[in-house]
Amino acid sequence: MKALLVRLEPVIWMLFGAGMMVGAFLLPAFILVVGLAGPLGWTGAEALSYQRMHGLATHPVGRLVLLAAIALPLWVGAHQLRHVWIDLGGLKTDGLVGSLLYGTALVGGLLGVVAVSRL
Amino acid sequence: MPELQPPHLRPRLDAMKSSRPGPTRTADPRPPDHFPARGNYPVYLLFGVCGGFLLLTSLLVLRGVWALVGGEAAWNAFVASLSHPLYIGYHALALLGVVWFSLRFFSIFPKTQPARIGPVKPPPAPVILAILNGGFAVANALLALILWGELL
Repeated sequence: MKALLVRLEPVIWMLFGAGMMVGAFLLPAFILVVGLAGPLGWTGAEALSYQRMHGLATHPVGRLVLLAAIALPLWVGAHQLRHVWIDLGGLKTDGLVGSLLYGTALVGGLLGVVAVSRL
Repeated sequence: MPELQPPHLRPRLDAMKSSRPGPTRTADPRPPDHFPARGNYPVYLLFGVCGGFLLLTSLLVLRGVWALVGGEAAWNAFVASLSHPLYIGYHALALLGVVWFSLRFFSIFPKTQPARIGPVKPPPAPVILAILNGGFAVANALLALILWGELL
């Protein structure tokens, strides 16, 4: 498993790099509005309504944004957490932990593709 | 003299080490002394841990999209669940973490650029930083205004 992770490193790095940019450019606004402003009542009731959100999400640009916001930052989290794990002495279990983290990113990304295509 | 950890207690950092020895003998890598408690190492590790916010937040976006797929009742249940104090606390922490993570990533980015790619030299570091920080501010402001209902 470790050998496979080493072989896949360039692909993982590409997804990681893209995920850093996408995560930085998209996720703070999502967290601010959907995670904080909406639940705390700072936005109007209409802002996060189903009809409005569904309309935004089904627009072609909306689909692309959602897909990017789901599929790419997952790889950042997986890659960063894997390396924190290694740095803190987890090299012996790196194959298992790395596979679990990258597996989460892969499955999450695929589920994202399915979800966005079913909108 | 700083006290060194015995070799058998030092974690190995060679995640990318070849499974077979190569022709050049190299010493086993070892962490710096007093890793991870002192110097820049806590910040370095915190930067790594903040990657977890991106992973968890992306999974939350995925949950939101599945709720949209499930229809109005599922979406309303998703939005209502975000009012739980644990979610509010997580999102407050995640917002701080992701913004700090992003700005630190931008500050590191110019140092990762090659001297030149073919005949093209990358722009000076201040220009790269201005583009990244400006893009961060504009993209997030636009998306926040759209989600808030002020635009579109």
